[in-house]
Amino acid sequence: MIETAGHLPGLPATEVAWRTLDFSAWGERAQVRVPELTAKQAGALAGHVREQARSYLRTLPVSQIVATLDAAIARLLDRDDPCRRRAEAVLPIVTGYDRESVRLGLSGYLRSFRAPQLQRFLAEDFANPAVLDGFQPAMKGGFTRAHGPQLLLHIWAGNVPGLSLWSLISGLLVKAGTVGKVASAEPLLAGWFAQILAEIDPKLGECLAVVWWKGGDAEAERAWLREADTVIAYGGNDALTAIRERVPVTARFLPHGHRIGFGLIGAEALDTRRAGPLARLVAQDVARWEQQGCYSPQMLFVARGGAVSPREFAERVSQELGALRLRHPRRALSVAEAAGVADWRSHEEMRGFDEDGTVVLGEAGDGWSVVFSGAAQLLAPSALNRTLKIVAVDSLDEVPPLVSPARAYLQTAAVAASPRELFRIAALLGEAGVTRICGFGAMAAPEAGWHNDGRFNLLDLVRLTEIEQSAERAADDLAPYVD
Amino acid sequence: MTQSEIIEALLAFIDQDGASEAEFERMALAVFAYQFAHNAPYRRFAIQRGRTTLTVRSWRDIPAVPISAFKTLTLSCTPPEAAERIFMTSGTTQGGVRGKSHHPTMAVWSRSMLVNFRRRFMAGRERITMGILFPDEQAMPNSSLAHYLALAKRECGTPDSEGFIGASGLDLPRLIAALERAEASGEPYALLGASFSFVHLLDALAAQGRRFALPEGSRILDTGGFKGQSREMGADAFYDALSVTLGVPREACINMYGMTELSTQFYDDGNAVCPPVKSGPHWIRSRVVDPVSGRDLPEGTTGVLVHHDLAHFNCASAILTEDAGVMVEGGFRLLGRVDGADSKGCSMAVEEFLRAARG
Repeated sequence: MIETAGHLPGLPATEVAWRTLDFSAWGERAQVRVPELTAKQAGALAGHVREQARSYLRTLPVSQIVATLDAAIARLLDRDDPCRRRAEAVLPIVTGYDRESVRLGLSGYLRSFRAPQLQRFLAEDFANPAVLDGFQPAMKGGFTRAHGPQLLLHIWAGNVPGLSLWSLISGLLVKAGTVGKVASAEPLLAGWFAQILAEIDPKLGECLAVVWWKGGDAEAERAWLREADTVIAYGGNDALTAIRERVPVTARFLPHGHRIGFGLIGAEALDTRRAGPLARLVAQDVARWEQQGCYSPQMLFVARGGAVSPREFAERVSQELGALRLRHPRRALSVAEAAGVADWRSHEEMRGFDEDGTVVLGEAGDGWSVVFSGAAQLLAPSALNRTLKIVAVDSLDEVPPLVSPARAYLQTAAVAASPRELFRIAALLGEAGVTRICGFGAMAAPEAGWHNDGRFNLLDLVRLTEIEQSAERAADDLAPYVD
Repeated sequence: MTQSEIIEALLAFIDQDGASEAEFERMALAVFAYQFAHNAPYRRFAIQRGRTTLTVRSWRDIPAVPISAFKTLTLSCTPPEAAERIFMTSGTTQGGVRGKSHHPTMAVWSRSMLVNFRRRFMAGRERITMGILFPDEQAMPNSSLAHYLALAKRECGTPDSEGFIGASGLDLPRLIAALERAEASGEPYALLGASFSFVHLLDALAAQGRRFALPEGSRILDTGGFKGQSREMGADAFYDALSVTLGVPREACINMYGMTELSTQFYDDGNAVCPPVKSGPHWIRSRVVDPVSGRDLPEGTTGVLVHHDLAHFNCASAILTEDAGVMVEGGFRLLGRVDGADSKGCSMAVEEFLRAARG
């Protein structure tokens, strides 16, 4: 099957050069045509989107944008919708994730963008979302209005399906003219979403574009970076550094780097009744998107002192991963990924030779790997792709010092502990750099309105225009009805 | 077997004309039994993998040690302090940690190198004038490549063979003089060294606009890739430039693939077409495996190379490399290093974390 990626309003498809990307998984093949725009086309497209956003999107009340987004999400949630069917058919081949994972993952994720949830996004960042529509009275006096970027450029990375929608929707909520660059690893969903929006509101469809260039192509990137006044970029630090160097100093740059997620389990969660279900939730978090998400757990700290020991808990997680594999088999790994998994595993085996209490569970050929360590260890990445290290600690208080050296890479931590303990440990984790604390089973499903990387999804995008009281007073003097 | 018995058996094995599958198997199992008995970390590794002298029936079952293990474990059948020679990796890949291979005697290593080198590089000639583009053994006592080149020069080079890399790098004037002499003499000349040194040479000659037409029968041997020590060049561009600049046809440009963690080298039969087929002598065999399960992949499928080098008797004969390859008729094609994969999503991967930690 051949799919076409992108959404290029005002640019005839026949005038565009297309490159074909090949994908295969689960015994099927798919080809995806991605647009390769010239610098001139990029400039024209940027101008078109900017102008359409100015003349149309900015005139829409935010409630109407919410309604349109809601209608588009409803179509993607409807399993009988042709677009949703296409997503379920093609995304497993493109990303390698199994069909069930794609189906469940999409539905779970898309639910965050229905109208009530979008209201929550707005309410999280704006005490009065009407500031996006017009001047509103400010607490300090005077009036305030928030303006989104004229042209917001998203540089998306990664093959977690739909990741792009988070920032795409955030941009549209603040009425930004939007250009998104999709990743080669998952080039489709953002474009489909844009096309659905265009079907619902053709004029809105003119206000956003979805493009592609080869990651790291400096020339293509520069053509777009020249045009944008705000840039959101996802990627590793090397890629982000390269982009930052090309972003004009006058533009706002909002980077989202790679993260290491982890979990903490208190002794109170490890009684014989609770340990089993908890191990299942841990395994689900590990298997979801093969740990490719920024929120995915790579290490688990488990307290001693419960009825189930950390070592036994590790065995249970390993068993649960074994069971999950039957329903959701691991996607095929590239040679490099497989070598990474093998190297991580054998490295841990070697550690075990030094008798430091490291035990590698299961067989090398299993579709997952759990390593248990009886000695406290600093937070470090696993090999992803269903590999997890479980570290025993005497108390959860040991954990913040073990994770704080990786401060720059912290984001999500799942905690299983009593309420008092949750708030106590959350304070320490927050101090260490963690920005999101959730329950197990929810690591890969952040709440609507979640502050990604501890920042404001919408507020970071806008610029405020304030009418100070002095201007108001001066105006009063000039009123035709002045005494 | 005792150490002297295994050494004697291996020297005789190398001197054979070839080896059948059964002969290789017999020798491999003997070497495995020797290593299992005398190399404690390797024994623990093998047991962890469920492989012991009782369960291993075929050479393909012998557990392959990942080469990163040479960095963390001392894999030696004899006390490491008794080693005649310790070869170390350059330490460029893992934050300065160097993998070590201990050699209680150089007899097997040297026999392995020379028998194979004569067959694959010397092309029937007894000696040839050599120019060496690599530091000598005094400068790099732990480099297996420095020893390799010294041995080549001593045993197969004419008396006027010389090295051109000194403390201050490439001695270009002296090398140009040697190349001029060779050109004038009409006698074949051999240039051997690190791939990155050839890049430096090509750049230096290009800067001076110099080209040579070395006499017929001249040969080039490069090895080791560029390792960040020179600019990267594609294989075709590299061999084209060598043949244009030095007048040595690509068929006579041999690439040697060797590792500190081995005692035997692989060669191709020239680089007219890249990547060429690499092969080794009868005392080394290779497999391409799925790195996760360690199982053999069918011919034509890309995986990670495992080498089983009987000459590496003191350490671990079976090693899992970090090189991607594919088995083909007559050997394997080398497809470059398997670098740790970066995450395809937004999760931090080991490689990136290490890079960041190194700063």
